[in-house]
Amino acid sequence: MAEVRHNASSLPLSRSGLSVASWLRRLRTASATERREWLLAFCLLLPAAVMLSLFMAYPFVRGIWLSLTNTVVGQVGTFIGLQNYVILWHDDIFRRAAANTFIYTAVATILKLALGMVVALMMNNLLGFKRILRASMLLPWIVPTVLSALAWKWMIDPTFSILNWIMYQLGVIRFRVDWLGGPVTAMVSVILVNVWRGMPFFAITLLAGLQTVNPEVLEAATIDGATALQRFWKVTWPLMMPITMVVVLFSVVMTFADFQLVYILTGGGPTNSTHLFATYAYQLSIATAKLGEGAAASLAMFPFLFLVVLFQLWYVRCGEGGKGEA
Amino acid sequence: MSAKAANPSRKTPQIPRRVVLKGAASLASAAVLDLIPEILRAAQAPAYLKGTKLHFLQWLNFLPAADKVFLEQTAEFSKQMGVEVQVERIGMNDVRTRAAAAISARSGPDIILLDNNSPHLFADSLVDVSEVAEAIGKEQGGYYALSQANACAGGHWLAVPQHALSTGWNYREDWLKEAGYTEFPDTWEGFREMGKKLKAAGRPIGQAFGHSENDPNTYCYSLLWGFGGYEVEKDGKRVVLDKKGTLEAVKFNTAIWKECFDEGGLSWDDSSNNRAFLAGSLSVTLNGPSIYLVARDKFPEVYHAMNHAPQPKGPAGRFYFLPTRSAAVMKYSQNQKLAKEFIRWYMAKAQYGKWFGVCETFMVAPTKMWYGDPVWTKDPKLTMFRDVMKDARAIGYAGPPGRKASESMAKYIIVDMFAKAIQGTPPEESLAWAAGELKKIYGA
Amino acid sequence: MAAAGGAGWRRWVGLYLPLGAVMLFTLFPFYYMVVTAIRPDREMYIPWNRPNFAPFWTLQPTFEHIALLFRETLFARWLLNTLIIAAMSTLISLFCGLLAAYALARLRFPGGGALGTGIFVTYLVPQTLLFIPLGDVVRTFHLANTPWALILTYPTFLIPFCTWLMMGYFRTIPRELEECAQIDGATRVQAIVRIIFPVAMPGILSAGIFAFTLSWNEFLYAMVFLSSASQKTVPVGVVSELVRGDTFFWGPLMAGALLGSVPVAFIYSFFVEQYVSAMTGAVKG
Repeated sequence: MAEVRHNASSLPLSRSGLSVASWLRRLRTASATERREWLLAFCLLLPAAVMLSLFMAYPFVRGIWLSLTNTVVGQVGTFIGLQNYVILWHDDIFRRAAANTFIYTAVATILKLALGMVVALMMNNLLGFKRILRASMLLPWIVPTVLSALAWKWMIDPTFSILNWIMYQLGVIRFRVDWLGGPVTAMVSVILVNVWRGMPFFAITLLAGLQTVNPEVLEAATIDGATALQRFWKVTWPLMMPITMVVVLFSVVMTFADFQLVYILTGGGPTNSTHLFATYAYQLSIATAKLGEGAAASLAMFPFLFLVVLFQLWYVRCGEGGKGEA
Repeated sequence: MSAKAANPSRKTPQIPRRVVLKGAASLASAAVLDLIPEILRAAQAPAYLKGTKLHFLQWLNFLPAADKVFLEQTAEFSKQMGVEVQVERIGMNDVRTRAAAAISARSGPDIILLDNNSPHLFADSLVDVSEVAEAIGKEQGGYYALSQANACAGGHWLAVPQHALSTGWNYREDWLKEAGYTEFPDTWEGFREMGKKLKAAGRPIGQAFGHSENDPNTYCYSLLWGFGGYEVEKDGKRVVLDKKGTLEAVKFNTAIWKECFDEGGLSWDDSSNNRAFLAGSLSVTLNGPSIYLVARDKFPEVYHAMNHAPQPKGPAGRFYFLPTRSAAVMKYSQNQKLAKEFIRWYMAKAQYGKWFGVCETFMVAPTKMWYGDPVWTKDPKLTMFRDVMKDARAIGYAGPPGRKASESMAKYIIVDMFAKAIQGTPPEESLAWAAGELKKIYGA
Repeated sequence: MAAAGGAGWRRWVGLYLPLGAVMLFTLFPFYYMVVTAIRPDREMYIPWNRPNFAPFWTLQPTFEHIALLFRETLFARWLLNTLIIAAMSTLISLFCGLLAAYALARLRFPGGGALGTGIFVTYLVPQTLLFIPLGDVVRTFHLANTPWALILTYPTFLIPFCTWLMMGYFRTIPRELEECAQIDGATRVQAIVRIIFPVAMPGILSAGIFAFTLSWNEFLYAMVFLSSASQKTVPVGVVSELVRGDTFFWGPLMAGALLGSVPVAFIYSFFVEQYVSAMTGAVKG
């Protein structure tokens, strides 16, 4: 009989606590128990706050400052306002990288979710070999990305590709496929490798989520005459929505900011068709030494990610609207 | 005078050196010349605190033997001077990242081996090493234009050139013979004819057009220059990519792509052509001696069948793009004097000569004296590499190899111009795109 | 549990075959890595359209690549470094994240919402933006070239992650549990430690697994903040020492990839088991 209840402070962006006046009012009128609770909260939050302030706050602020200057490596820059962003807006390559990142993230996430869910459902129904399956399922995710990207690079190299060989033997292709050579096939390839890498994350977490779905509810649905598909859509999927959203959110953030995979596989090529925000930002900061522009390219990701976060929160709140407290 | 400039801390050695110089100009005296600093140093009180550490960041050399020699020399220097020199070796593009991070944090390695025109990029953070560089230049017959262009700005040396990576056309003699060629063609038109025949026989030419450090740039820039095209005028401001022979170069490249090349080249990185050549799937490719040296160890049939040839001549001449490496002393270093001494020492003839010999023509020396070194003639198949420096050009031609030239190369503008045309964009359009991008870089 | 329903063909088509296909897709590259790690160099350079292209096996397996990995590089040391760094940064992040998650999920206090968002927002900041200014911080604290440079900087992306994951789990635990404990006389802190944390163990384990993996995988900070060969982590060490210019030492590279991940997967297999059974237990109990 788990009933999920939210209180205002556990939801980010809650309506309470946003104005200074209401803050002070609450401080003054708080009771002793409330004050004790605040003290406990403060103590509990302190370690995280310390770590993040020391190692995140300064670099983050510095990064924002960099994006507003024309700093290059070794030279102190001057403030130029939003000019870097304007330059990037007119930058052909940046626009391409932005488009690529959206496509890459959207397609890869959908595929990972679908595949991960299917795998989770299957593994949930499995009776034997559980441990070894779960361990081997995790392998793509555990291998350091640089190394698995190198392995994949060789597996799809036009001269040595084992994939080409298999497809040729199966009669699927007559000429070799240059996986990383064309703008479309290169994007397909990097998405493929990303899905290979990221699917275990979805599968394992969704599997854990599946195990919290009460089997009695499913049995009741079966008795009521629901098919397997209906059981999934009407019972399982909604019940797993909270954990699905968490996993999707994290995956979107990680995929959007993905760097190593594309860097190793294509370096952003051919002809910038696989450049992402992160790889282009890196190229700007290091290869051209323009730290200001590179910082701006990195920060350009931010608004979109923030929107994704907002969307997820809105969705969660709407979904639980019936049960939440105001 | 050079001795004093190279080592201002020493007070005594001037006279003995001049006496020896005025004596016989024989090899023996030259050897003694190099030994004297060592002898005197040994007799002198240590100039550095025991335990002083010097951190040198450089790339991981293709040849383990060369690294071994360098490390031995480093140990020798450390012992002599009573200091500790730590050499750290990582991949070249990682060196660039570390350099950027170190300069921004104003702390890190004392000496960094920078590539190409990076010294210009970081000019404000580098110590003026003119005295060391000029001493070496005087001693070793002067610098080649490329080495000087990449390391010297406005008369000040920002870094001491150490070497350049040699490049040449690696080809299979046996397969060329089968196609009717006893010699590698010397013009691009001849190259094209040969390529057609080779590809028809299932043995295409291979070239990378992706986003990797060396191979795409090596080919694209030199082809561009060979046809008379270049990026900017001498003033470093006016973009002239669309004015001179560029269009011919792009059209030519697009034609030979279909006729002569292995069409997987768009996805290749620097190592792909090595692998393909060693696997026998290519007959010709542009590369340094790294293929040959690996073949010698592991693929004898390729080793015996292959040879090297210089760049063909285009309408405007014969040009090479060669990656160079120069050692820069960082301004934040606490041991600048020691750093300069170390560089002066390992670049001195005795040390450098030994290292250079072990490099087996994979490196070209930045100074002209080494043209006569026996390493070039040990293996006749490697002799051609000694001439490549003469025709080498720095990026950003005809302007200075500065920040904007770096940006153009880092963004792969020239490479992508050729790549886009290969992928189907009309040559005029891809040229217009490249020129537009260059104007954004140079005009801003 | 779901009906087991005999070894019918339905089970094969609906379960075993698709699962088998997915496992093939997942594991095939590893098989390929194993074969490459024991394949002699000469055999590696055979183009795919040659008749003697034998991608799935090698008739002359050799262990020289693995030997080279351990002999010529400090691979064993890197493995140890990475293990320590990942373990410690995971512990720190779990500790901070756990406390923060409880506070945000359970306690009412002003500004809680904003703080929760704030912590999550830090997760959105990309590493490509931070690594240069962070280098500054690392040098200021004299952490450069020590494992602490990573142990203390990895939590910047691990803490937000752990916090949010565990917040989710805390929210699914009914308040009644704590309230009952408090009615029985326990203080709030005792209720937290004795009742809530054990129940939240699946969440803690899963956060721990993910945090450990993210640390294990990290490349950029490790490359920039560490300089001695003896300090490096597996990804950085393997790539920087087995790639020389335009020559890749494929055998040792693949051996490094395998040896750098299979042990971790093996360890995980125990935790995943425990974590899933704890989950099932939480539902039933």
